[in-house]
Amino acid sequence: MLRTFVYLMLGWVLIAVVGGLADVLSLTIMLPATTAVVVTHAAFSVGISMPLGLGLAIGLGYIEDLHQGAPIGTLALAHALGFIVLRWASGRIAITGWVTRAAAGLVAAALFDALTLTILLVLSEPLEVPRDALWAAIGVLHWHALATLLVAPPLWSGVDRLLTALRLDDRPPQQAYWTGK
Amino acid sequence: MALSLRSIRNGALIAVLLGIPVLLLRSTAADPHGMSAFDRAVRRIGAPLEAAVSYSAGMLGAFFERWVLQAQLQDTNERIAGENRELRQRMRELVHLQEENQQLRRALQMREKVPDDMIPAERVGVDQSPFFRVVNIRIDRGSEYARTGMAVLSPDGVVGRIDKSFDDYSDVMLITDPRSKIAVELARTKAQGILEGRTEDSCTLEVPKDFDVQVGELVQTSGVDELFPKGHPVGQVTEVEPLVGDKQRLHVVPAVRFDRIDVVWVVLANAPRPDPHGERARKAVQARGLQPIQ
Repeated sequence: MLRTFVYLMLGWVLIAVVGGLADVLSLTIMLPATTAVVVTHAAFSVGISMPLGLGLAIGLGYIEDLHQGAPIGTLALAHALGFIVLRWASGRIAITGWVTRAAAGLVAAALFDALTLTILLVLSEPLEVPRDALWAAIGVLHWHALATLLVAPPLWSGVDRLLTALRLDDRPPQQAYWTGK
Repeated sequence: MALSLRSIRNGALIAVLLGIPVLLLRSTAADPHGMSAFDRAVRRIGAPLEAAVSYSAGMLGAFFERWVLQAQLQDTNERIAGENRELRQRMRELVHLQEENQQLRRALQMREKVPDDMIPAERVGVDQSPFFRVVNIRIDRGSEYARTGMAVLSPDGVVGRIDKSFDDYSDVMLITDPRSKIAVELARTKAQGILEGRTEDSCTLEVPKDFDVQVGELVQTSGVDELFPKGHPVGQVTEVEPLVGDKQRLHVVPAVRFDRIDVVWVVLANAPRPDPHGERARKAVQARGLQPIQ
């Protein structure tokens, strides 16, 4: 439970940091999906149960909704569905090393974007979202995924260090990041 | 197939949790532009955090921008300093060229004024006293051109005479040298006398007392000695000292700053006397039977 709370607060802070830095650096496209990385980290963590992880994904998605000005519930549902997919994948593949972390960030960002776009396209009429704008947004989504790819490895390591510092790391000592294995 | 109570509970929780965003979407679809009280509460709770993070990010960004700006300013400063050094060097060269140009112009003007046959010479060395006064200068004209006793002039005035002449250079005895004696006259009263060198920066001249000599009066060459062209400036009277008898001694400061001389003129030969018959039309000489072959 505490671990989930740490994920939630960390994701919230990251959302605010990315927004603040984007405002300072005048960035509009190359913004990384930090919540995608946090949710992926949680999905591949054995210390979080499925309901807690799902609640975490919905919470982070909801906060993203509020920050991005999206119709409330869009990103929450996309994050929830994405978490389920990632959780399913965590039973089949493992994420070790910088390359796989970067790839996981890329895939997670693309997955969340695809789910969000699908939800918005399906509900565009009741949500009063113009479809032309949605089709135009597809052209810049790869920048979003690329930025997440670049951010994912250091962010993943940062989350590991934070959880270790808070004594919330669920990995056995021989797999801890500082052993180099 | 056995389902544990835990699995059933998790499944129910997942279903309930998935229903939350669906309900949120349904609520949003009902009123796309409205915000619920829960939304406003979450925004209110998160506002201080976001404000703090945005402020910190802003401070970080400002520091970064300032750092980058300072780096850019430093680069610009170094570049401008380099340009400034080059421009200052160029300006010094231009000032030097300007001074040289002025000297050459004045030398040229003097050359046009003085009818005698002269040759330019460049100063190549000086002899100085222990008090850094110039007592002797050396020019780059040797015995091929210069002879002992030839007058040496500058655009400002009389410099002296050739003292010794060597193969490639000559020594000039300045008018302040105690051995120097040149014929001069006062420009205003035309009182004539012999200017003698006295100290390192002054000369003396004795003229009759019946000439009313004023301090500051110009002393120029009289041409009597047939060495110096007539009317060339020599110096100014700085003091009038009455002597016993009918003479008065004038202290004269040279018109030439000997430590600033670069180019001088050596008078090779005096100008010929004016032809008394030059103004008249010459009578044709009779051919005496000889004439050009036709």
